[in-house]
Amino acid sequence: MLSFLVRRVLQTIPIVLAVAFLIFVLFSVIPGTFASSLSDDGRSIMDPAVVERMTKELGLNDPVAVRFGRYVLQLAQLDLGTSFRTRQPVTQVLAERTGPTLQLCFAAMAFAIIIGVPLGFIAALKPGGMVDTISMVTAVSGLSVPKFWLGLILMYLFALKLGWLPSFGYGGDPRYLVLPAVALGVAPLALLARTTRAAVLEIMNADFVRTARSKGMSEGRVVRWHLARNALVIVLTTVGLQFGSVIGQAVVVEKLFSWPGLGSLLVDSVTLRDIPVVQGAILLIVLFFLFTNTIVDVLCALIDPRIKYS
Amino acid sequence: MFKTFAIAASVATIGFATIAEAQTPRRGGTFRYTAGYGSSFAGMDIHTSNRAQDEIWARAIHRTLYNWDSDANKPVPELVASSTVSPDGLVHTLKLRDDAFFHHGRKLSADDVIWTFNRIMDGSKSYPGARYVRVIKGAVDVEKGQAKEISGLRKIDDSTLEMTLTEKVDPAFSFMFFVTAIYPADEAAKESFATKPIGLGPFKFVEYVPGSRLVAERWEKFYKPGMPYADRVVISIMGEAAARDVAFRNKEIDASILGPVQYVAYQADPNLSKGMLEVAEVFTRHMGMNLSYKPFTDKRVRQAINHAIDTDLIIRRLVRNKAVRATSWLPTSSPAYDESLKPYAFDPEKAKKLLAEAGYPNGFEFEWTASPNESWGIPIAEAVIPMLERVGIKAKIKPVEATVLAENMRKGDFQAFLYSSQSGPDPLTALKCYHSATPVSACNYVGFKNAEVDKLLDDAAATDDAAKRLANLKKVNAIIQDEAPIWFFNYNKAVMAYQPWVHGLQANSTELAYQDYEKVWIDETSPVK
Amino acid sequence: MRFRANLVIGGALFATVVIAGLLAPWLAHTDPVLDADLMYAEEPPGSAYWFGTDAQGRDIYSRVLYGARISLTVGIVSQLINTVIGVCLGLSAGYWGGWWDDVVNGLTNLMLAIPSLVFALAIMAILSPGLTSLLIALGLTNWSFTCRLARAATLSLKSQGYVQAAKVLGYGDLRIMATQLLPNMLGPIIVIGTLGMGSAILAEAALSFLGLGIRPPFPSWGSMLSDARDQITTAPWISIFPGLAIFATVLGLNLLGDGLRDILDPQARSRRA
Repeated sequence: MLSFLVRRVLQTIPIVLAVAFLIFVLFSVIPGTFASSLSDDGRSIMDPAVVERMTKELGLNDPVAVRFGRYVLQLAQLDLGTSFRTRQPVTQVLAERTGPTLQLCFAAMAFAIIIGVPLGFIAALKPGGMVDTISMVTAVSGLSVPKFWLGLILMYLFALKLGWLPSFGYGGDPRYLVLPAVALGVAPLALLARTTRAAVLEIMNADFVRTARSKGMSEGRVVRWHLARNALVIVLTTVGLQFGSVIGQAVVVEKLFSWPGLGSLLVDSVTLRDIPVVQGAILLIVLFFLFTNTIVDVLCALIDPRIKYS
Repeated sequence: MFKTFAIAASVATIGFATIAEAQTPRRGGTFRYTAGYGSSFAGMDIHTSNRAQDEIWARAIHRTLYNWDSDANKPVPELVASSTVSPDGLVHTLKLRDDAFFHHGRKLSADDVIWTFNRIMDGSKSYPGARYVRVIKGAVDVEKGQAKEISGLRKIDDSTLEMTLTEKVDPAFSFMFFVTAIYPADEAAKESFATKPIGLGPFKFVEYVPGSRLVAERWEKFYKPGMPYADRVVISIMGEAAARDVAFRNKEIDASILGPVQYVAYQADPNLSKGMLEVAEVFTRHMGMNLSYKPFTDKRVRQAINHAIDTDLIIRRLVRNKAVRATSWLPTSSPAYDESLKPYAFDPEKAKKLLAEAGYPNGFEFEWTASPNESWGIPIAEAVIPMLERVGIKAKIKPVEATVLAENMRKGDFQAFLYSSQSGPDPLTALKCYHSATPVSACNYVGFKNAEVDKLLDDAAATDDAAKRLANLKKVNAIIQDEAPIWFFNYNKAVMAYQPWVHGLQANSTELAYQDYEKVWIDETSPVK
Repeated sequence: MRFRANLVIGGALFATVVIAGLLAPWLAHTDPVLDADLMYAEEPPGSAYWFGTDAQGRDIYSRVLYGARISLTVGIVSQLINTVIGVCLGLSAGYWGGWWDDVVNGLTNLMLAIPSLVFALAIMAILSPGLTSLLIALGLTNWSFTCRLARAATLSLKSQGYVQAAKVLGYGDLRIMATQLLPNMLGPIIVIGTLGMGSAILAEAALSFLGLGIRPPFPSWGSMLSDARDQITTAPWISIFPGLAIFATVLGLNLLGDGLRDILDPQARSRRA
């Protein structure tokens, strides 16, 4: 177990390095600079001397090789650099935004699991039936709507027309979380419902369940023992893989709902060319993804001992 | 009992435009404001950012030497109590207020001003405010690292300061911007200042949730008697106009800047239309033409473009009258605005004739760099393209992000661009963008060169005669119209929607989103106590 | 029966969109770009303008039709790029194994770890908004599933008799991959491709919302929807029609993908048996 974990951690190192390299290369050729972004609102004029000095101060005049060397040296010391915009360490900027994003992603995933998994189960009980068809088409519909449109419609409906929930905001009140989490959770919900359904169907027909059934185990115990365990593994794996895309989609949802997470930070930083923050945010998102998937693997192994640590 | 009376009184006076002013301001309540120009602030050090988005929060916490007076439509002393000027117009002796206290309780001193300006000129850093402080003698030496302190600043006593300028300008136009906000010398040097700002403003910093909101509460020792009125200001960061619209209608925010789409919708709504504040701002929306790019080198081509576009129609239908037709560079709110100037008439035939004279009877093609902005970006270009097509000019949009647009403009790397430029409040500063000595990278993006304009501008800067200066500037403005280096589109009209319980908002023509929060008061009908 | 329903509904929706796109010049009432008449801006749907007009006074019906071309191009081309990359990498890695397999595995894990929307966002910012950039951005960021699938299929097919036989006959590696392996994994790959087309169309909309989508003169559904978001309370038809078009197309593709999976994916077939 321990050696498995160690190996998994070691495996992530080249990926993280590759990501770091890739985003560095990508953002070293991006058009536009941080200094220009300061006058991009059409409301302020930048002084040429200040622009020049800013470019120098931020080290943007140095050759790419020098910048990359500096970047790698910093990374080696777990330093992500300094934000161009807030002049704070990037780690600090990211730390402020991580909580809200995790909160939102977990809420969205919880919503997806709580509704999606039972939906898949119910659909699988009578494949091809009315319930199955309706629930699956509904689930697929959820996959087919652009997120920001869905978010806007939710906002319009539940905040403005019905007055049940606030349309925006962040902080203590959990009601703030509902609309963004639903907007973000609809897609993983659909995928989970579909995967759960397929997994349940597959396992129902698998040899070991048939055997169990033929041995005279009651349907309830069959479901409890084998189905739940095996389906859980598949669902967990889906959750792990979906986590990445949920964090990705959070970019859109956070921007719409003024949610102060990593996603809106990332879009803002790309727009303003605050490159250290962009690099840091992407790295952090990748780490989250790798971390979640390692956890998922461990959980799967704990639930189903037949899965080898590999 | 009092409440009933107040309601009865307000019902009785409905129909009078001056209702807000007639009431006695109430103390207390929360003002829920919005910052709509992006989705976060640059941080809590206002010296580092000149973006409008950041000045919105800074105005709650900080104060500057001068401030824009929206009623008088000019800058007035703020932290300066009184001042005298030497006969040559260069040495200003500023007496600072002696009732201004920083939020940690210490009184403002001349040392704070000196420290602040020295900081801004630090040559190893790049504070945008350097652009304004540079007008003080010796500031450039500090910037270049040749001096430690600005020689033109001298402390006479704790509340008196002597400021020597390099040219004869009104310092009020330089030191009203919040990138020159006065910091407390002792506290601002500490690291904690970057996250917990301390200023002289009407509200004291409480919390900043990055990307979400800034909360500030009343500063009891603020120097204006009885102010601020509200107990708290909450500034929510909401870059999405659609989200702001829903939140405003849902009464979750108290005031919000409107785009053209909502402007019309709110006007049409019997309730919403009661709470709208409009002001002609000092921005000129235009298509800049690269004067060294072939067809645009010819004045007739540039005039043809101005004749070919039905500007009034675009303003009426697409901008929905949330703008005033531009005649030349200076906007209607400018003291040098020339009412006698008539805009280019919509005349496709004349445009065709001019094009033929210039040697382009069949038109030509050009690339038009534009950002997605709804008021000065691609949606406007999309409406213009069919109009240009009718006189044979094919415009191809080159879509870029606003940052890239700003970069391309600064480098002169474009054939034409669509932009909004600040064209006030000081007409001389605004027109200097067309002085041939102003580099493309500053604000002469189109690369304008005209000896007569140069001469008129130089004379205007040198003269003491206000009337002559104004006359010169009007002449420059007229020449620019004739030379047509740009398509004169419109002067922005800014609109803010506010809830019925909000009073005391100011029609600030330099930027409507800039409010003096101390003057805003909330009556008891607000849903937030 | 449900699976047929999937296939039929999905296929019909998708076919409608394809036909609408192909016949756009004949079905459309106006030119989607040049026929902008500000006098008729924001007309609600009616007999003259079936879907109403937008803020610039352009006929939304015509723009939605032409938009089908852009959305389909985005979906099909970007997915083709993804599929080609995924299949080439997956097949060769599975077939040759060794260090190349490690490299491909590493690349796949890398691609899986960066959310594709984030990656596409970065690429769009670098290449500047536009159709070509979008095709590149979406075409380069979504091949990891195809690659994994192709690799797994190759590994299981490699040891089978007919592949071994082809080797004995002296067929070259490339020929074996193209003629023996590829046809046998086409089913599941088509399924993934179909589903991927849906995500690509949605990604286009998301990027438009973030200010990095396709820009004029192309009327793309994503940019139409995104541009009209401020008018959602005042002139909802401007966003409803492109929104419905995206919804119907992606729904069609998803249903079609599900239906095809059932026919083409051997695993799923055995699952049902």
